[in-house]
Amino acid sequence: MRLSTEFIAGVLAGGILGWMCDHFLGTKPWGLIVLLMLGFLTGVYNVMRVSGALPKAPTTKQDR
Amino acid sequence: MAVKMDPIHQFELKPLVSFGHIGNQEIAFTQSALYMFAAVGIIALITVVATAQRSVVPGRMQSMAEVFYEFIGSTLRQSAGHGSERFMPLIFSLFMFVLVLNMLGMIPYAFAVTSHIIVTFALAFLVIGTVIVYGFMAHGTKFLKVFVPSGVPGWLLPMIVAIEIVSFISRPISLAVRLFANVLAGHIALKIFAGFVPALLAAGAWGAISPLPLALSVAVTALEFLVAGLQAYVFATLASIYLSDALHPGH
Repeated sequence: MRLSTEFIAGVLAGGILGWMCDHFLGTKPWGLIVLLMLGFLTGVYNVMRVSGALPKAPTTKQDR
Repeated sequence: MAVKMDPIHQFELKPLVSFGHIGNQEIAFTQSALYMFAAVGIIALITVVATAQRSVVPGRMQSMAEVFYEFIGSTLRQSAGHGSERFMPLIFSLFMFVLVLNMLGMIPYAFAVTSHIIVTFALAFLVIGTVIVYGFMAHGTKFLKVFVPSGVPGWLLPMIVAIEIVSFISRPISLAVRLFANVLAGHIALKIFAGFVPALLAAGAWGAISPLPLALSVAVTALEFLVAGLQAYVFATLASIYLSDALHPGH
């Protein structure tokens, strides 16, 4: 549950950012495409961080 | 015997006192707000009232309040480290609020406030707003170092910074979605398993296996109590982890 929400939140955040970027800056459809892909990356990154696959990354020292 | 299976019905908002309309949206004091007030009342009862005597040898209620306080205090110290004491009121309030609301939601026929994503998102937004405001107040622009992890090779840095920014924005979402999804899914599962019992009983010979979903719904109830407590704890822990970024950016 923890890992799946982390991943979903990453994708959602990317999607929302991309949609807002498109909506307000008129960059349709590139903002959504780029930021959704970035969102997927973020989701994977979040999952890696939570599951402890990035042991040496200093930002994550106190994350569990 | 007609059995109505509507597991979503329990999450419907029912206005108790209406204050009129803004546009097409009715502004009302709903049962959700009533439960929130009840939660605040219960928290006040077990913290303010119970500790009013301040006896050295605590009574039953006072020791309960002390256990909660010590528990959250140690959690906060472990995850946010030095200087995190100033966030104790926030984290303690959040934990108690979510815990009491979750537990109130477990009472049969009661309404689970935390099953509405707008409530959990408001709480998550409060946390992340505190992180941003306090981060900039305490560290100025140095707070932006939170997006730049040290020890990353230069050619990878733009990518990592972009990912870190999206990751930061995903935090309130994951905080809100986790609590909301757990409570919502638990209540729906409970309703459905419990709904199997009368459905099977109504189906003639199938009634023979109706004790099965009954036992299952008892087990799921126990699990939901665990989830109710655990999610409040997880919410408080993650909130204090995020606050540790505001206290010590660029770690």
